[in-house]
Amino acid sequence: MPPSRGGRSLGPAAGDAVTETILLARAQAGDVGAFEQLSGAYADRLFMLLLRLLGDPDEAGEVAQEVMLRAWRGITRFQGRSSYFTWLYRIAVNEANRALAKRDRGPANVSIGPQELELPASPADDPARQAENNELRLALTGALAGLAPPLRTAIVLRDVEGFSTQEAAEIAGISQAAFKSRLHQARLQVRAAIGDDALATAGA
Amino acid sequence: MSYAEDHQWSQHHLSHYVEGDLTPRARRRLDRHARDCVDCGRGLRAMRALVRAVHGLDALAGVRAPATIFDRVRSAGAGGSPAPRNA
Repeated sequence: MPPSRGGRSLGPAAGDAVTETILLARAQAGDVGAFEQLSGAYADRLFMLLLRLLGDPDEAGEVAQEVMLRAWRGITRFQGRSSYFTWLYRIAVNEANRALAKRDRGPANVSIGPQELELPASPADDPARQAENNELRLALTGALAGLAPPLRTAIVLRDVEGFSTQEAAEIAGISQAAFKSRLHQARLQVRAAIGDDALATAGA
Repeated sequence: MSYAEDHQWSQHHLSHYVEGDLTPRARRRLDRHARDCVDCGRGLRAMRALVRAVHGLDALAGVRAPATIFDRVRSAGAGGSPAPRNA
């Protein structure tokens, strides 16, 4: 089952689960078209995840290609112990970590901005409120980018992506206790970076 | 426990509280302290708002994966097809 929190769903609708099973079987038999259809359903979310973890659209695009190649090459080893998207996301987190290790430091030059995020304006919001929200979103994006990669991965998987703690820990490849510890640290650091005043305004 | 000890402990457990990771006893401890402590009451509201706001980042992401995402898979072609199940 795809994860859902607040009505959010990352995977196919329940009725499409059969289709996913069929596509998976075909992909495991070597049908590249079936693999593209199967994995393509998660491509946008996977790219967004990489963008948040890496902070650079070009690098995220490169890594996304590598994730798909690794998934394709390894798909016969997928035995369905987790859902397909969890397996795919785990490859994505591993590849993002590999890319960050190559860089030898975090994404100092984060280039996720309003254009990449396509900040939408809610018709219900007045312009001043929209500007305030956009400012907070950009500040949050910057604060997430400033975290150490393990902390950033934790808060992105749990709070942005909405995975359960169990799923997120599985994707990150660590115990639930270790995952929670990272998540709490990440939240404390983001809270300190944003400031309670800005958050109080957001919560008002 | 002194007020100062409760305060320090509460400040470090706001996220645990919001996440539902505290035991009932620990939750009562933070509740009790936050009722009397303006900073911790505010911190708790800020932490809830933070989780909501970070969660809201996702909804605004109208990002699309690049069309090139399967290029390496396609380049791998037949030679790069998945290994047999028993390989």
